Parts: sequence; structure tokens; C-alpha cells
Amino acid sequence: MWWKILLLIWICGVMVAVFLLPAPQSQLGEISRIFFFHVPVAWIAVLAFLISFVFSLLYLRKKDLIYDAKASIASRLGLLFVILATISGSIFAKSTWGTFWNWDPRETSIFILLLIYGAYFALRSAVESEERRAALSSVYAILAFITVPFLVFVVPRIYQSLHPTDSVINVKLHLQMPPPILITFIASLLGFTLLFIWIFKLEFEINKMSNKLTEE
Amino acid sequence: MSSNYVTMIVTLVIWIGLFFYLLRLDRKIKKLEKKM
Repeated sequence: MWWKILLLIWICGVMVAVFLLPAPQSQLGEISRIFFFHVPVAWIAVLAFLISFVFSLLYLRKKDLIYDAKASIASRLGLLFVILATISGSIFAKSTWGTFWNWDPRETSIFILLLIYGAYFALRSAVESEERRAALSSVYAILAFITVPFLVFVVPRIYQSLHPTDSVINVKLHLQMPPPILITFIASLLGFTLLFIWIFKLEFEINKMSNKLTEE
Repeated sequence: MSSNYVTMIVTLVIWIGLFFYLLRLDRKIKKLEKKM
């Protein structure tokens, strides 16, 4: 329980720090503060898909349905965070570039990612046998994750994008932010990551409880 | 629209989204508790 209270205090601290600590970016102004919410949410989505990939591999190796349940939960949370990143990004786009959607490479990539992981759940709901569903969706999740680094990190850097391509990591893979921005960004990232872990654990507990009930 | 309002709307969208997801989990838990 204590870490959940600490998390609440941490997130409140991040919310205040976002508006007080870093100076607004010179070109975008105050709207640049969206970066501290929008980017961590998108990163958590990638982390969730990575976790889904790892548990899918584990399922195929050990054939334990627990791993399949964990992979499915991680994908569901990944989809939630992708949706949040898309909505928050399109509000930013409307204010900065004039329209909610521009088919910018990063927007197109995230749209494809939404379709890919949407299809994962369509596949899961189409197969009735538990083992067959777990095996098929594990293979699908592994294949789906292979597209993630390409869609998230490569495509936006190949094509001209409205998004700043090197706002977090530059082409030499170096972090390039002044300390107040870096500290606030890492703090926000940590807050969202802990929140993700909490939701993941809750989902897993629910899954265990409902499995117990169906067994009884 | 002022940039501060846009930042506020984006922040609210993210937290309201997470809140509704947690609300959905809460409902699931209540349903399971009733069954138990």
C-alpha cells in the first residue's frame, strides 16, 4: 500500500514540476509542456508491447497459460496507452499544426500500430479453445512486436515529419536535454511506469480470480 | 485557444482515460466479489 501512496505524491509532484521547473521551449511556448505527458504515455505503450512479446515467447517455450494471460494484459494496456498518446497528440496537432490529423509519419505509424494490436484482440476473441488461442496469439504478438521498433523509431526518422525527431535522443543515441527538462521527463516516465505496473498487477489479480471461479 | 488551456486539456484527457480504465477494473472486481 505504501508505494501506492508514494506514487500519488510522486505524480502530484510531477504535475507541479511540469508547469514550474522547465522553461517553455522557445518556438512552441507553453504548449511544449505536453511533451512531459504525451511522450511518457507513448513510451509506456512500447514497454507494454515489449512485455507482451516477452510473455508470448515464454508461453511458446513453457506452454503455461499464465504467460498467455500476462501477454494479453500487457497488449491491452499497450493499446490503452497508444489510444491516450493518439488523442493527446491530436489535440497538440490541432493547436500547433492546425488539424487534428496530418498523416505525419509518426501519426501514420501509430495508426498502423492501433490496427495491428486491434487485430490481436480480434484474433483472441475468434478462437474458442484456450490452448489454441494462446498459441496463435503468442505467435501473432511476437510478429506484431517486430514491427514496433520499425514503426516507432525508424519510420519517423526516414520520412520528413512534423514531429521533432531528436527531441529525446539524437541520432548519436545521446540524451540531449537541459537538466530541468531531463529530470522532469524522467520523473514523469517513472510515475507512468509505476502506474502501469499497478494496473498490470490489478488486471492479473482479476484474471486469477475469474479463473478460480470458472474452475469451481 | 491559449497554450496553457491546450496543455491542460491534454493532461486531463490522459488522466480521465486512465481513470475510466481503473473504473472498469473496479467494476470487474466488484462483479467477481459478488460471485465469490
